[in-house]
Amino acid sequence: MPGSSRMPSRRAAGELEAEVLAALWAAEGPLTAAQVRQAVGGELAYNTVQTILVRLCEKGLIDRVADGRRHEYFPVKGAEELAAEQMQALLSRGRDRQAVLQRFVTSLSAEDAQTLRAILRRRP
Amino acid sequence: MTISVYLPLALSLLLAAISRIVVARTAPTRAVVFVVAAVLCAAAATWGLLLLSATLLGYTSLVADEALERGVQLEDPVPKLIGFTATGLLLVGAIRVARVLRARRATLRELRAVCRSCGEGELAVVALDAPHAFAVPGRPGRILVTRGLLAALDGDERRVVLAHERAHLIHRHHWLRAATELCAAVNPLLIPVREAVGFLVERGADEHAAMITGSRELVARALTKAALASRAEPATPEWAAALTFARCGVSARVAALHCEPPRPEPLVPSGVLALGVATAVAAVQATIAFYQLVYWLWPD
Repeated sequence: MPGSSRMPSRRAAGELEAEVLAALWAAEGPLTAAQVRQAVGGELAYNTVQTILVRLCEKGLIDRVADGRRHEYFPVKGAEELAAEQMQALLSRGRDRQAVLQRFVTSLSAEDAQTLRAILRRRP
Repeated sequence: MTISVYLPLALSLLLAAISRIVVARTAPTRAVVFVVAAVLCAAAATWGLLLLSATLLGYTSLVADEALERGVQLEDPVPKLIGFTATGLLLVGAIRVARVLRARRATLRELRAVCRSCGEGELAVVALDAPHAFAVPGRPGRILVTRGLLAALDGDERRVVLAHERAHLIHRHHWLRAATELCAAVNPLLIPVREAVGFLVERGADEHAAMITGSRELVARALTKAALASRAEPATPEWAAALTFARCGVSARVAALHCEPPRPEPLVPSGVLALGVATAVAAVQATIAFYQLVYWLWPD
């Protein structure tokens, strides 16, 4: 993988758990451990991924189904609807409240969007 | 009274102007300097308004009678209108501060409730298509993201989001933002400083993510993709874009990541800090002037 030499090799266990969980949520359906490893990116050992998946299962954050001899993992959606409703309510609050939220990205003007699209095309 | 009492207001304007100009060139680690300067400015300006309001006391019959009795010639260089204006500004400021505090508390409470509904662990994922990510301060702090954002990014880019939000939590950026938000509530002249600190804090988190992932290019790509995904989302209200100044937006952050890493430059921060100290000195001077105005009330 290009640039992998610059990748710091050690990632704390907690960070890896978040990455694996994020990958499972981003996926369309359940993933096998090998697929998780690919989706997480970076260069994780297969065993590391396996360990994290087991730990996430123990915590009840993900679950697995048997598909033949392999296991497929998927995120447990506990109070999914409640969380979504609460979040939607939060996002629709007024100006005062929006100003408090520290967003990852803010909205873009049409002009900015065009510039960013051009940058993205230039640097694939 | 002396001109010192009005000086913090003038210096606030200056600080705001400087913030706008230098924000793009300031190293993100210097955000705290702007916060200190803003706090000093806001405190000095508020104190000045308090002193001006207090001169109204000279007009109340109680003080006037006392002065007459003791044969003191009440000299009042502060026009009554200014005294009333100062009182009005103080009241408006107090209301604005209350509103900010209420909004902060309510928003944090709701963010934590969403996190709880998502289960235990550092990462809380909400099944929404709108792409969002927030750092939720607390013990322990948590990262709240929507499935929409995770799905819009690849594995490396997701690491960027996690590292960025973690940086906010580690460096306790919410305190810097809260402090400047309160300053801007007390003294709206400082709104550009609030925007500057908000931008620097985001830049700081971007640089932290670049350090963790080892690639500024990757951080820029993640930001770009997330921003474009937000734009595709029609639910984003139009006015949300107006909340941030043009030069403090995502494009500016992406542009900064495509440049050389920022080098801390001593001149700008010391200048900003000097401004803050100047307002504090002015406040002390104003206090002395005020004391000279009313010292006869307390005979030694």
